[in-house]
Amino acid sequence: MALEFLGNLATPIIMGLLLGGLYALIALGLSLVFGVMKLINVAHGDLVVFGTYVAFFLMTGTVTNHEFAILGIDPILSLIISIPLLFIIGFAIQKYLLSRAFGISMEAPLIIAFGISLILQNTYQIFWSPMSRGLTTSYTLGGFNFVGAVVPIAYLLDFIAALVVTLFLREFLRRTYLGKAIAAASQDKRGAQLMGINTGRVYAFAFAIAMATAAVAGVFLGLTFPFTPTSGVSFLIIAFGVIIIGGLGSMLGTFIGGMVLGLAQTLAGYFLGAAAQMLFAYLIVLVVLAVRPQGIFGR
Amino acid sequence: MDVERKMKINIQRLGKGLLLPVVLLAVLAIFPIIGVPRSWLLYLFLFFTYLSMANMWNLLAGYSGLMCLCPAAFIGLGGYTLAIVTWLGLPFYIGIIGGGVVAAAFAMLISIPVFRLRGIYFAIGTLVVPEALRIVFFLWRPVGGALHGGGAGYMIKGIGGITMTEIYWLTLAIGVVSIFLMRIILRSRLGLGLAAIRDNDRAAASSGVDVFRLKLYAFIIAAFVMGIAGAIFYVYQGYIEPSSAFNIRWLMTLMLATVIGGMSTEEGPIVGTIIVVFLHFLLGRYAGISLLIQGIILVGIMLLVPQGIIGFLRKRRIYHSLLQLVTRW
Amino acid sequence: MGKQSQVKSQETLLKINKIDVFYGTFQALWDVSLVVKLGEIVALIGSNASGKSTLINAISGVMHPAKGAIEFEGQDISTLDPFQIVTLGISQVPEGRRIFPEMSVLDNLILGSYNQRARSNKKQNLERVYEHFPLLEKRKNQLAKTLSGGEQQMLVIGRGLMSDPKLMLLDEISLGLAPIVIDELYKALREIRARGITILFVEQNVRRSLKEADRAYIMKVGRIVLGKDVAQLREEEIRKAYFGV
Repeated sequence: MALEFLGNLATPIIMGLLLGGLYALIALGLSLVFGVMKLINVAHGDLVVFGTYVAFFLMTGTVTNHEFAILGIDPILSLIISIPLLFIIGFAIQKYLLSRAFGISMEAPLIIAFGISLILQNTYQIFWSPMSRGLTTSYTLGGFNFVGAVVPIAYLLDFIAALVVTLFLREFLRRTYLGKAIAAASQDKRGAQLMGINTGRVYAFAFAIAMATAAVAGVFLGLTFPFTPTSGVSFLIIAFGVIIIGGLGSMLGTFIGGMVLGLAQTLAGYFLGAAAQMLFAYLIVLVVLAVRPQGIFGR
Repeated sequence: MDVERKMKINIQRLGKGLLLPVVLLAVLAIFPIIGVPRSWLLYLFLFFTYLSMANMWNLLAGYSGLMCLCPAAFIGLGGYTLAIVTWLGLPFYIGIIGGGVVAAAFAMLISIPVFRLRGIYFAIGTLVVPEALRIVFFLWRPVGGALHGGGAGYMIKGIGGITMTEIYWLTLAIGVVSIFLMRIILRSRLGLGLAAIRDNDRAAASSGVDVFRLKLYAFIIAAFVMGIAGAIFYVYQGYIEPSSAFNIRWLMTLMLATVIGGMSTEEGPIVGTIIVVFLHFLLGRYAGISLLIQGIILVGIMLLVPQGIIGFLRKRRIYHSLLQLVTRW
Repeated sequence: MGKQSQVKSQETLLKINKIDVFYGTFQALWDVSLVVKLGEIVALIGSNASGKSTLINAISGVMHPAKGAIEFEGQDISTLDPFQIVTLGISQVPEGRRIFPEMSVLDNLILGSYNQRARSNKKQNLERVYEHFPLLEKRKNQLAKTLSGGEQQMLVIGRGLMSDPKLMLLDEISLGLAPIVIDELYKALREIRARGITILFVEQNVRRSLKEADRAYIMKVGRIVLGKDVAQLREEEIRKAYFGV
């Protein structure tokens, strides 16, 4: 009896850990931006979804009521286009919009990001209707068996992608001049400037990298879940929860935070009912905020 | 509550400059009776509804340093309380008061996790709340068994006999109350404490200001008024369902109104709401791009005129002379 | 006591001409002028809140003068951003031992050579820094925050050296350190000067300043009240300028 119970438990545990990969992937960009600029970009979720819609467009060529030649580009392959695209957009947003916002008032960056968020949501709705969409490919339709649990392949891909991106970012921050400059600027802005670091440009690069990460997250999000123009908010909250749990600014911490949140969510869903899974995630975020806002790994 | 003790009011000071507004109020009040066009009434209905909410949002974000992204929570809860109360067979005005009470109680409840957070953490924390409530009310049927037309909506019962005039008067009342509340609070010790907190809450704390308590008061008051305004709104609407009750549009409307008019100014929400309601009428036929336009305006105003219309005017002498003229009586 | 100036050239490296600096509406510097010549060690002395750090920050570009001009090698740098000024050859060692705590000693040093001019000489400069401060080489893989106060100060100075400066600004490097450590630091400064780098340092300890510097400026409440070769300074003058007695 007990063994069966444990056996069934394997499913939510595995699912939670792998799903956590997706959550981490989504949160990495937010974590980077927050670590460097102390800005929680409330438009982050919507920017991730932007990556999803770009991949959707490149795959299906559809825009509401029109169908362009079906480009049929595989979502993961489409990253070749969407990563540089979002990189440039991110650079521009930080350089021309958000950097000015910081000089205006304390609330200005938040308000402007909020405005951007709603602009994006409405834009998605115009181009792709409020309908729920998905990035369906042949390889994400199946599941595989692992320790008695049936896990969708997409979840595994999410986890692998998250691991790759986390390690990539971590090494980038540690080894390259720009990466170190980003890390330095986040630890001591003025000190970084005195090293000859152009912090304005560094911030723009950091945001651009975060957006490139969001492009990746967007693709895997679309491969895993159906999405709508308003999906961004849910994932913003999840991402926020992840970085709170995992400690701010640490890439590895974000990765682990993702898994913790994913696991907590699937376990809650397993014991308390699956319909309210998102709700459980939100409640977990609120609880973590209430109990330990500096995160499990926070200082 | 020792709030009253904290709000020492100088009646005479308050009475000055009131003649004009009182006359204006009387005129507005008799509008429905003298047969003013229905669209005017609708405009004013929306105006006073949004105004009461915007004033409260301004109280939090503009004066207390609480960038609250959860007004939809209080508004939606007000509406749902109304719906539940009417389904229980009670008169609707109990639902309205109840809406305020439930929203205020909820504010007290969530203040526990959310007030431990500062600045941006607080903002995101409050963002979570309406989203969570949306799911809660999607899954939970507090009263009644049948689902109306799919989804988790409720018709508001027992309001068949209510006229537009009565609804109009209700919103007029809550709108005026909100203006008065702002006036009183900002000139009271509560207001002073809040101003200190907004500027630097650590410094305020070390000067003996009970930061948590004051923020809580502001939060609860704001929730109460928003709950009432929300309930009244749904009396008009007649139907409530989760995705529109807890929709982010509420936040956009209030933020836009406050920012356009001028955050942290008393008159700002009034001016901003005039414009926003007008904007809503304009965009009525273009519902599909309404949020887009509002978002663009919000970003534009924030970049170009962050102090809002009132903030901008305050720097002009004309404004001051005009103001003196108007408040002489 | 005075030091014999070993400077052959009288060439002016840094010239500050009557600057005013404000923090919002508060005026921190009033009509401040000073000169630093190539190869010198110049001390900036004064009690707390006399404006010394503000002056250093103004030179580095962290603050900008509302009036007056700052010239470096003949070029007006008053409106430049800090990173541009570093590229030109001025390196500030800020007060408070501002290391990057979560990075290793080596990474801190490498970051010092971020500007383009210094990158090509990174290896050389690193070796030189290790010559001045062998301890840093020993601890090169440790996290900067694990170093002692004195070692952190060495790290900040070393980091400043990595940017290949022509002029180094040092702000209160002796604060909170034991005399032995301070001796070591100033010995290193002398070595650094011997290599041709000009130094302007801020120091609260008057005795130490006079021992190490060729020339000294004394500041009080945002103004320069005295500026002379150390050899020619008399104790009375100093006391009067510093304490106003």
